[in-house]
Amino acid sequence: MSFSAEQGTTSLLDRIGTRRMLHAYVAGVAFLEGGVLAAALGDGRVAFIGSENANAPRLVSVHDGACLSLAVDLGGERVLTGGDDGRLVSTDTAGEITAISAIDGRWVEPIAVSIVSGLRAAGFGKTVCLFARDGSAVGTFDHPNTVGGLAFDPKGRRLATAHYGGASLWWAKAGGQQPKRLAWSGSHLSLTWSPDGKYIVTAMQENELHGWRVADGADMRMSGYPGKVKSMSWLPKGRYLATSGAEPVVCWPFHGKGGPMGKAPLDLGWGVDGVVTVVAAHPRHDVVAAGYEDGATILVQIDRAHPVLVKQPGEGAVTALAWSADGQHLALGTESGFIGRVRLSDWRAPT
Amino acid sequence: MDQIPVTVLTGYLGAGKTTLLNRILTEQHGKKYAVVVNEFGEIGIDNDLVVNADEEVFEMNNGCICCTVRGDLIRILGGLMKRQGSFDGILIETTGLADPAPVAQTFFVDEDVRRRTWLDSIVTVVDARHVIQRLGDSHEALEQIAFADVILLNKTDLVSADELAQVERRIRSINATAIIHRTQRCEVDLATVLGRRAFDLERILAIEPNFLSEDDHEHDDAVKSVCLRTDRPLDGTRLMGWMQRLLAERGQDLLRTKGILSIAGQDKQFVVQAVHMLMEGNFTKPWGPNENRESRLVFIGRNIDGTELRQQFDACIA
Repeated sequence: MSFSAEQGTTSLLDRIGTRRMLHAYVAGVAFLEGGVLAAALGDGRVAFIGSENANAPRLVSVHDGACLSLAVDLGGERVLTGGDDGRLVSTDTAGEITAISAIDGRWVEPIAVSIVSGLRAAGFGKTVCLFARDGSAVGTFDHPNTVGGLAFDPKGRRLATAHYGGASLWWAKAGGQQPKRLAWSGSHLSLTWSPDGKYIVTAMQENELHGWRVADGADMRMSGYPGKVKSMSWLPKGRYLATSGAEPVVCWPFHGKGGPMGKAPLDLGWGVDGVVTVVAAHPRHDVVAAGYEDGATILVQIDRAHPVLVKQPGEGAVTALAWSADGQHLALGTESGFIGRVRLSDWRAPT
Repeated sequence: MDQIPVTVLTGYLGAGKTTLLNRILTEQHGKKYAVVVNEFGEIGIDNDLVVNADEEVFEMNNGCICCTVRGDLIRILGGLMKRQGSFDGILIETTGLADPAPVAQTFFVDEDVRRRTWLDSIVTVVDARHVIQRLGDSHEALEQIAFADVILLNKTDLVSADELAQVERRIRSINATAIIHRTQRCEVDLATVLGRRAFDLERILAIEPNFLSEDDHEHDDAVKSVCLRTDRPLDGTRLMGWMQRLLAERGQDLLRTKGILSIAGQDKQFVVQAVHMLMEGNFTKPWGPNENRESRLVFIGRNIDGTELRQQFDACIA
């Protein structure tokens, strides 16, 4: 199976998907336990969308402003959102809101949840706060600059933060500690920690990625992007890191010795026009969902040439993509407020 | 997504920047603004959407030594775009001590900012009574005037007519292209300040031909304007080669460069502008059938030699 954008191939969304228009920027999407899809919106609302198309989504006003970020909260049944109202909030599908923290005048953008250690972290400007399961603040980490991205290590025992001048490694516990600084000049905008815990990768203002090997702090530069990388996602077992920011889906090899050093990345999804804005790797298979600036969305498989069309262009740039934990559902959101959802359980990857 | 106009308000402490900001926000013009204020904001701002900025100036790692951007602005403008449709424009207030270059450069460098916004103008509020003194002791006051597209020469009621004329001449010698409005308490027709597309230059470079007469050397500011013009078409290749070399070598001293140029063999105007080393040039609208195809190029910078620049410019005539 193959397609090209001009041929008007029927998309998966047309064949086996459902669609909504919520008329507000989609800052993030995620599947909760029970198959409910949550979407964080630029008008401050969170939408909960059931699997049945007939039911209207439940819309909950959560932030006084815009939702900036979304993650599945501890337990898998609630969403954690950060807003430009300075609040970090947990909301359940019934619309019950629990405010975890608020700092006036700050924006809460980077957030992370560690299911393993039961911790949540959020960046309030230059300060990162750590919250326990009961919502109590257990640690505060101050930085010289605003923290753009943060991530827990796989065990949830350490926390890495990205900022101007590099990254910082903290122990995910009470404050009063000095971080391990990983220095690299330039502005680091977001951060991800590899599933095996060995690597930290940041996306930079300078249209490149920077990586560090955690064990010895060795630097890795991954460059060549025409635009900023806004989205990074690890394939199963961390074998590849899929990234946005170029026309193909650029996947850096992290299996084998030395990670991506001295190796060329895989370029997937050739034949689709436009720049990739979001990527989301399938949780079990070597498949990446990629959304484009024109609204098109595809699935590509490592080692296969031809992508599968999930969504035709339109409805503005894709801004959010997420798989369900079992990999049977894919959701996407766009800057104009379009939400698409595809059930893939009967679909086979092209051979 | 629609592009949103951004107006940057600069000015030394006490010049009246916040007065102008509140005037913009309270006047009935049917427009809604998102306001980005600095963390040392002087007084309260009465507006629905106010964002606190902490003026994080970042050096870009792109081999350009003077290339700095406002990292917080990139983040804030990106975040504001998530609230699409809830405002018509963005106002950015900088601190009195801010150098405007990183703000202006942000609009050149960051692809997301460029795609979603345009820099409508840099508006500098100047205290007519104190500006001469400020120019003597503050590097930032000079830069703010040099970078301005629009200058509000404010508090004119506190100086005599002679003093005012002297101040205006001094400002002119630094920045030959800015539109100057004389005001009291920042009372100005906002249509002359907002929505000017000042960075589009069309209007700015309609400077009086003799804006800087030869005998106007009474002040010795470190920053001044040099205005070059010719009625003869320019050789595009030679011109671009010269400008690229000039900006690469002298970019740190050249604060702003603006030009509308007639290139030999081209029917469209070539519009060029630069902030320090960052330059962009585009062919824009066609010259009118009866329009005088005069090329105009203005440099605002430090230690610049008008005679030398004139010779180099003339060498680009086709």
